[in-house]
Amino acid sequence: MGKRSGSKRKDKNKVILPPELPPEVDDDAVDVSDEDIEFYSRNEFHHFDQEPIDRYVKRTAGDEAEVERLYEEREKRKALRRPREENDDLEVDPVDALPIKNLQGELVYNRAKKARSEENTGSTKSQENGADAKQGINKDEQTGKSKNKKGGDKVKNTQSHIEVPKGKLHSDVLEEVKEELSAEELFEKKKAQLAELGMAMLEEPESNIRSLNDMLSISNDKDQKVVKLGLMSLLAVFKDIIPSYRIRQLTEKELAVEVSKEVKKTRYYEYTLIRCYKAYLQKLISLEKQPHFYSVAVRCMCALLDTAPHFNFRESLLASVAKNLSSSDDVVRKMCCETIRSIFINEGKHRGEATIEAVRLIADHVKLNDCQLHPDSIEVFLSLRFDEDLGEDETEEQKVKPKKNKHRQNREAPKPLPVSDKKKTRQELISKAREEVDADLRAVSFTLDPKERKGIQRETLSALFETYFRILKHSMSTSNLRSKANIVSPGASHPLLAPCLEGLGKFSHLIDLDFMGELIACLKKLSGYSDRQDGTPHDNTLSVSERMQCCIVAFKVWRSNLEALNVDLQDFFVQLYNLILEYRPDRDRGEVLADALKTLLWEGKQQDMLRAAAFIKRLATFALSFGSAEAIAALVTLKHLLQKNSKCRNMLENDSGGGSLSCLVAKYNPEAKDPYLSGGLASVLWELSLLEKHYDISVSSMASNILSMATLNPTQNPVPILNVNPLEAYRDLSIERELSKTASKALSLNLKKRRRGKEFVALNPEVLRKADCSVDKEELEEKLQSHFAVLRGISENERLRAQLNHTLSSINIYKEYKKQKKKNMKSKIIRKKVARV
Amino acid sequence: MAKKLGKKARKFARKNLQSAAKRNRKIRNQFNNRRPRRGGSGAREDGDEDVPQRVDDATMATNDTADALIDGLEFPEDDIEIDADLSDSDGYLSEDPGCPYYSDSEDGDDVKGSIMQDGLDRQNDDMNLDVEKQKRKLKKLLDKDPEFANFLEKWQSELESYRSKEDSDEEDGMDSMDDDDDSNDANSPNTKILTTKTISEWCQLVSKDPKSPALRNLLNAFRDACRYGVHSDSPSMQRFQSTRLFYQIISFVLSESDNIFRALLEISDDANKGQIMNLRNSKKWQPVDPLLKSYLRNSLDLLSQLTDNRILSFVLTRLRASVVLFSAYPSTSSRLLKILFRLWASGDQSLSLSAFLMIREVAALLPDCLDLCLTKAYNTYLASTKLVNDRNTKHIDFLMNCLVELYSLDVQKSCERAVTSVGQLNAILRQASKTKEKEDLRKIDNWQYINCVNLWVRFLCCNYKDYNLNPLFSQVLQVIRGVAHLFPGTRYLPLRLKLVQMLNELSTCSQMFFPIPSLLFDCLEFREVSQKEQTQKTKVNFSSLLKVPKNLLKSRDFQEECVLSAIQVLSAHFAQWSYHVSFPEVATIPLILLKRLHEQTTIESLHRPVKRLIDQVNENKDFIERKREVVSFSPNDKASVDSFLQEEKSSGNASFTRFYASIVENRQPRGRKTL
Repeated sequence: MGKRSGSKRKDKNKVILPPELPPEVDDDAVDVSDEDIEFYSRNEFHHFDQEPIDRYVKRTAGDEAEVERLYEEREKRKALRRPREENDDLEVDPVDALPIKNLQGELVYNRAKKARSEENTGSTKSQENGADAKQGINKDEQTGKSKNKKGGDKVKNTQSHIEVPKGKLHSDVLEEVKEELSAEELFEKKKAQLAELGMAMLEEPESNIRSLNDMLSISNDKDQKVVKLGLMSLLAVFKDIIPSYRIRQLTEKELAVEVSKEVKKTRYYEYTLIRCYKAYLQKLISLEKQPHFYSVAVRCMCALLDTAPHFNFRESLLASVAKNLSSSDDVVRKMCCETIRSIFINEGKHRGEATIEAVRLIADHVKLNDCQLHPDSIEVFLSLRFDEDLGEDETEEQKVKPKKNKHRQNREAPKPLPVSDKKKTRQELISKAREEVDADLRAVSFTLDPKERKGIQRETLSALFETYFRILKHSMSTSNLRSKANIVSPGASHPLLAPCLEGLGKFSHLIDLDFMGELIACLKKLSGYSDRQDGTPHDNTLSVSERMQCCIVAFKVWRSNLEALNVDLQDFFVQLYNLILEYRPDRDRGEVLADALKTLLWEGKQQDMLRAAAFIKRLATFALSFGSAEAIAALVTLKHLLQKNSKCRNMLENDSGGGSLSCLVAKYNPEAKDPYLSGGLASVLWELSLLEKHYDISVSSMASNILSMATLNPTQNPVPILNVNPLEAYRDLSIERELSKTASKALSLNLKKRRRGKEFVALNPEVLRKADCSVDKEELEEKLQSHFAVLRGISENERLRAQLNHTLSSINIYKEYKKQKKKNMKSKIIRKKVARV
Repeated sequence: MAKKLGKKARKFARKNLQSAAKRNRKIRNQFNNRRPRRGGSGAREDGDEDVPQRVDDATMATNDTADALIDGLEFPEDDIEIDADLSDSDGYLSEDPGCPYYSDSEDGDDVKGSIMQDGLDRQNDDMNLDVEKQKRKLKKLLDKDPEFANFLEKWQSELESYRSKEDSDEEDGMDSMDDDDDSNDANSPNTKILTTKTISEWCQLVSKDPKSPALRNLLNAFRDACRYGVHSDSPSMQRFQSTRLFYQIISFVLSESDNIFRALLEISDDANKGQIMNLRNSKKWQPVDPLLKSYLRNSLDLLSQLTDNRILSFVLTRLRASVVLFSAYPSTSSRLLKILFRLWASGDQSLSLSAFLMIREVAALLPDCLDLCLTKAYNTYLASTKLVNDRNTKHIDFLMNCLVELYSLDVQKSCERAVTSVGQLNAILRQASKTKEKEDLRKIDNWQYINCVNLWVRFLCCNYKDYNLNPLFSQVLQVIRGVAHLFPGTRYLPLRLKLVQMLNELSTCSQMFFPIPSLLFDCLEFREVSQKEQTQKTKVNFSSLLKVPKNLLKSRDFQEECVLSAIQVLSAHFAQWSYHVSFPEVATIPLILLKRLHEQTTIESLHRPVKRLIDQVNENKDFIERKREVVSFSPNDKASVDSFLQEEKSSGNASFTRFYASIVENRQPRGRKTL
């Protein structure tokens, strides 16, 4: 937050005329906080520094009427506050409300007064202990009160706090209750409370708007789970109730005018909403710095930005989201990217203002981080959309403006333009606002007139290209620096280069002609960087894919400008010619290679014959060493080249005399760096004869198709078998595609039934011979005998053990026998006695 | 009261007996000096000969299903119960009383003399003394109190009846084998003590005339010998008093019975199943049937009893001759297969081989068993390829070759299985490539999967020429390419090299062109080697690795092994196309890389082999270029292209061919399997 306002101030200082682009809203926000300043300056809070700045900014805005209005307002508020304080006294005995819980250890008097400010800033050290117990009671009372409240009175929203002390009358009882409530119960209770409040809000936002305060205070809870829940439910509520217009600060004039009850009510509603929204955002931004809440906070911000890019405080949301575009957390980064993309795509929601802001923020971000960001942060640019005629219009306008000026704007100072534009927009808006006070009517202004739209798009474009050029320059300078330094894994040193080149390719038609030359030179340098240094490509810090992308972009730029540009692209061909050999299937992206083939060779018109021949030969050789997808891409290109350059068809034939054309370089040199010196025309495409045996049916049929050209006369073309460009051909044959295809139906094998004889097919005969040597007789005898001996030993052992056990148990039985005998004796004696008797 | 005590005593006895048996097993294993083998040790338990093995098999089956759940690779195996004809009494053959028995006076003390003095014997002696002592004590008691004798007798009879009752209770749930044995005991087979002289006499009689009644006696003796030790208290134990006798019976019966039975049934050496089935209904069969059955069943008993690899392979070799006879008894043959697969998977080379030869014989001669054989062999193979280390790579390779042999017997039938299995592999691959999750990737990055792929590659190579296996071929190819694609990076180089080897094999057999170099570029790429000196030389053996451990990634040995392996597979690729007209182009890009590697590498030991390959390739390249300069045909002339340099190829004298042969030879001692 502080950062944001800081940067804002910086902007102000730079530009002499300070009015902000969306001034109304800011005014509104500042207005609220301005009132808070009094409390802030009295009680030390950490957000302290921001407010004076805002105030300062405001003052320098130089709207004197505003200042006066402020004073007036303050007076009014004081007047309003007085009865409230009396009310306090009436309702609560301050002594009762005095003790505990206030972390600052301040008096309750103070507390009652500043309660509102605490809430506003969202930094309230809420009444954590047993807060909910009280809240429960508060709520009842609150609802009771809300029925007899005066509509639209701002004092109303302090009521909840007035009631806090009252709740403390029961503090003794509550304390006991609180003790009994376990943490879980508390959690459950708070959850239920949140749900209740949220539902109420959603049902009737107009009358329940104050519940936002309660929800905010719940989300200040100690329990992290509760905080998360609170944040999420607030998010849900805000998503639902945020209006489709921007809430504007009321002018002094408007305030002065007596308004109806209805209007007052609406104003109060909007005021509360905006205040709570701000507090919520501040909370999110502060929580974002805590690792525990990081993802939740970012999620909330993304969702808010996604649903309400038109609403107040968009700037701070955007700033946070843009910053997190390069987060190391994958989930967070994905979320932010999605959000920014949706902003780019759904420009209707915010009239494109958010787009330009986001692009600028990202541009700043790239600048600050010296291009060391996650590629995703640049990749979002690919979702940008520009009107097709934008570039043309621009050039028309350019004629009016002095060229030098435009150049400056784009390269060094992209800022003045936006600012002046901002001013323009603001003036327009102000004039409109004066005419249309009603909010409903304001919605009309959401449709931009084409001129405005073009302006915004132009700004976006310039910020975009500024970023792209910065990345290019950066890549060049760092390549220089570490040309000979340690070998870095390819692509790692320039994380942003790949998406940047992709973007340049996509928006190539929008690039100003003036930079074209410079851009091409830059690309040339990047694409062939290594060769300037020394022969070994390993010292190059740009990966092969990146270098090929440079070639692609250069051609796209050239072509999208109707090839009007008078630049020499020969170097790019040379680069590609060499890069083909550097390609590694798993390291580099095959699609880029196929794309390069397509852009440079397949799409081009007639080629220089020597060059075409060199490429033909190299592509054929390439197809022999690489997988089927790469091979087919190469062959498609090769065929195309042969069709376009019929003279090259000589290469299909083994003309022992050698064509008249081959005399330039008599012998083909496969390792030549320069296509012109390779002598490709003197070679024969023997590769195709081997490629006919390729395991992949499409490659082999393509090879035979090409070979069939040899017998046709130059104007004829063979039956086309594959009518796709190299890129499509590559994709069709890539293993990913093959694997993602649904499994082919069960194979039906058609075998002639033939039972093989007994001959062995796989086993080595030597191994088999070993099996037949029978076991040595004596050894066998010995082994069998020992086997027998062991067996007998075991059985003997078992037998003896059984015997032993048996004997032992027999001996044991003797005791038993004795006992019984005794008994028998006794009974006998008894019997005898009985008999005697 | 007495009953209770009896129970206790029984419990005690059982406990002691078990521990004793355990100890004995241990001793025996030490004595035999070999690893305990699954199922091999449990077969000696008193009274439940078959139970442990059964349990073992059951656990194996559950393991199998568990694995199938994990991998989905195994074939479902319906456990065919082998009880079916175990219940027919076939154990004891009634003997002809006319056969002579000789007294054994001459080899009476042979028993004591020939038995080796091991721990067990000493223990037995001690126990003997103990028993004597206790008996004397009891005697004293009895003398003291004559009435006690009566009491004891009563108690003993009570105990006896109780035990028999319990036993019968228990045995209801036990293997039918026991009932069988009990009934045999009840039949009270011959318990006459055998002597070497008797046996020799019988042997002579039988050799002279297979129809001699002595055969019955001999087979009975064989039966008792095979079951020796199964029931320690059975009277048949007493029939063997000498080790020599034991050997005599077993070796004679095993070596001669095949001839004898063939003579009895009048069948030739190359009889097939149909003939046997026909014979079954003939008159000739009736008298021989019990004899044959007894012989086969008892041989199986012997197989499951024996623990020594050499004897086992001897028995297997002997038994192999009579495989066709098994066809008359399907359940016996399935039991045979169970034993065979256990032995086949065991680590011993010659035993494995003889077991396999037997399996193959069974599969070839008994068509009914083929399905079971294929399924069991495949599952056994998968189970034993779970873990691969330096020691068992050869064995696994052997198993794989065996399996290919087996599957090549009836390609039509095995192709269905191959299609199913490859379909499973493919499904796993697709799943993994879709989700890219660790869990799914791990299903591929394991030996079972890779070995399975390798199996089908080998199968294709063996049968590609004779059968049209194209659909299977392309499926396998897709699996190989997919796996190579899913596991990029240096860590998986060993896996990749394996895949390349497979591709080379496929390429050789199908004469198709595979762009192998693209998969090898990683190996030829120069990488930095950690400078710090390694304290000990870590041996990196790619043949037992799929994934290189992280700590070795930068080691010198890894780099070395990488390049050397790459050179090997690359030269195999070059060798295949070394006579092709476009060899120079095939070599162009790899040559550039090799040259670069040669310049950059800091590992001295690599300079020479790399340079050698470069030189050889260059030489061959020049050779082809020279040759093709003088030909007049064009690339589109297929016939001429195919016939180009065919003469040279068949003579195989080109320098590159020789170079490749030398490379293969050089790599062999390093324990690497070559193509």
